[in-house]
Amino acid sequence: MECRVLSIQSHVVRGYVGNKSATFPLQVLGFEVDSINSVQFSNHTGYAHWKGQVLTADELNVLYEGIKLNKVNHYDYILTGYSRDTSFLETVVDIIQELKKANPSLVYVCDPVMGDHGAMYVPENLLPVYRDKVVPLADILTPNQFEAELLTGRKVNTQEDAFEVMDLLHKMGPETVVLTSSDLPSKKGDQFLVALGSQKIVKPDGSKTSQKICMDIPKVDAVFVGTGDLFAAMLLAWTHHHPKDLKAACEKTVSVMHHVIKRTITYANEMAGPGKRPSPAQLELRMVQSKADIENPAIVVEAKVLHKSSQ
Amino acid sequence: MECRVLSIQSHVVRGYVGNKSASFPLQVLGFEVDSINSVQFSNHTGYSHWKGQVLTADELHVLYEGIKLNNVHQYDYVLTGYTRDTSFLEMVVDIVQELKRANPNLVYVCDPVLGDHGSMYVPQNLYPVYKNKVVPVADIITPNQFEAETRANNLISLTDSLLGDRFLVSLGSQRQVRPDGSRATQRVRIEVPKVDAVFVGTGDLFAAMLLAWTHHYPNDLKMACEKTFSVMHHVIQRTISYAHELAGPGRRPSPPQLELRMVQSKADIEDPAIVTEATVIS
Repeated sequence: MECRVLSIQSHVVRGYVGNKSATFPLQVLGFEVDSINSVQFSNHTGYAHWKGQVLTADELNVLYEGIKLNKVNHYDYILTGYSRDTSFLETVVDIIQELKKANPSLVYVCDPVMGDHGAMYVPENLLPVYRDKVVPLADILTPNQFEAELLTGRKVNTQEDAFEVMDLLHKMGPETVVLTSSDLPSKKGDQFLVALGSQKIVKPDGSKTSQKICMDIPKVDAVFVGTGDLFAAMLLAWTHHHPKDLKAACEKTVSVMHHVIKRTITYANEMAGPGKRPSPAQLELRMVQSKADIENPAIVVEAKVLHKSSQ
Repeated sequence: MECRVLSIQSHVVRGYVGNKSASFPLQVLGFEVDSINSVQFSNHTGYSHWKGQVLTADELHVLYEGIKLNNVHQYDYVLTGYTRDTSFLEMVVDIVQELKRANPNLVYVCDPVLGDHGSMYVPQNLYPVYKNKVVPVADIITPNQFEAETRANNLISLTDSLLGDRFLVSLGSQRQVRPDGSRATQRVRIEVPKVDAVFVGTGDLFAAMLLAWTHHYPNDLKMACEKTFSVMHHVIQRTISYAHELAGPGRRPSPPQLELRMVQSKADIEDPAIVTEATVIS
């Protein structure tokens, strides 16, 4: 498999977020990963302390220039995640546009990180950049419910609302949208959260439709960091292997997440000791220990295919 | 296996040198790798063009401070390679000394990158820093002949390989304490087939894999070297085959084409078939 990914995300010295979370699993699955580190921090910002340096939009451009001058600016995928800076994000957009001209088949996997549970945790002025410039270029989008609501200006109260929002996102650009989490009630009870996916497909007769899937994912009582980055990376990998089968791609992706998270929470609780809540350092994803699960995830969640609608 | 490595090396966006060369193989072998990127370049400096940014000694210190403030500055290994800056190198020494105080069992694996084939390719003023400050705190060093000569200030006469001039000779030496308390030195010799190409990042991969295999064979340098050299062989063979395929018949492969086939070599990294035997000399 000759598949090259350009991933533009954070680097932390210790732990697994951003490029640290995405790179190893993609490499283990045989992808060539070129990584531009948008920041270098000692660790993620959920620890008591963090220190480091950020890359400016100009410095990002300089790095890309180096790649371009050597004529090696050919990528099959681009992957982006958490960003805090509008000019940085706009430079990312320019780079993607140029890379898409160099390879029209390029797939841009975009995690539009803006916030969760009703609150933004990036500057507000990133929203128009995502909405008007970034999302139109995306091929695969992995918003949570809050980010999907922000991007479309529509609230999600029911599954039908979620479908409408995903269809609106399709119209904005991406052919594949995965709502990575939602507040929608799960049929399996309140220990589960609902994730939804939608993929535009062209039927053999040429007509267009979309396949919608639904997954009930067991909740875990802890705050993990870097899981969204791992999710987007694994969705890239599994949609690569199952380009027209969002059900299969999502089952693999969510299953990998499950194995990594379970291993992590078990270890964290062990480290913390009985009755104590694990610390951020103890809750770092058990990434290298999960290599076998990453390579070949046992399927633990079934995605249900819901009604297909014509567009 | 709970083993944490702090690796302070270059990062390149594309290709496999420095931390890009060391991290994946160590992670594949189950090591936790914390990596401080001393530079971020588009690619290594053997390409026609390269662009990027360097980390200053102060910025290195700031990153280390973050780790220390969170009380997570406990490492089993430190790994360093190519550096161009004396103040950066001196900051690395300070960090290693502090980490050794935090964990007296820490093993510092040092590739004292100075030059090759008779000439230096880093600033000359790095040499006294390596000689007087760095090497004294190192537990494992991986110099080439030129670097060893520079440090020891005497010539090493290179024995010819008995297998002919398509092989190069590598030597290893490990000081050990016998069960009865007396000291011994194990010396090994290993002959390695030459490959007619210029690879970049192989030294970084070598140091990382020597770290891994001496971890598993701390008192058996012969075994650690056989595994390390064997991994190198597999990665290089795969790389040169692919590079020739890409370049086409009769053409010399370019630097991008010669990038190590790292992710494709995962199985060889995990469990290298031994292809070269080390001889114990004494």
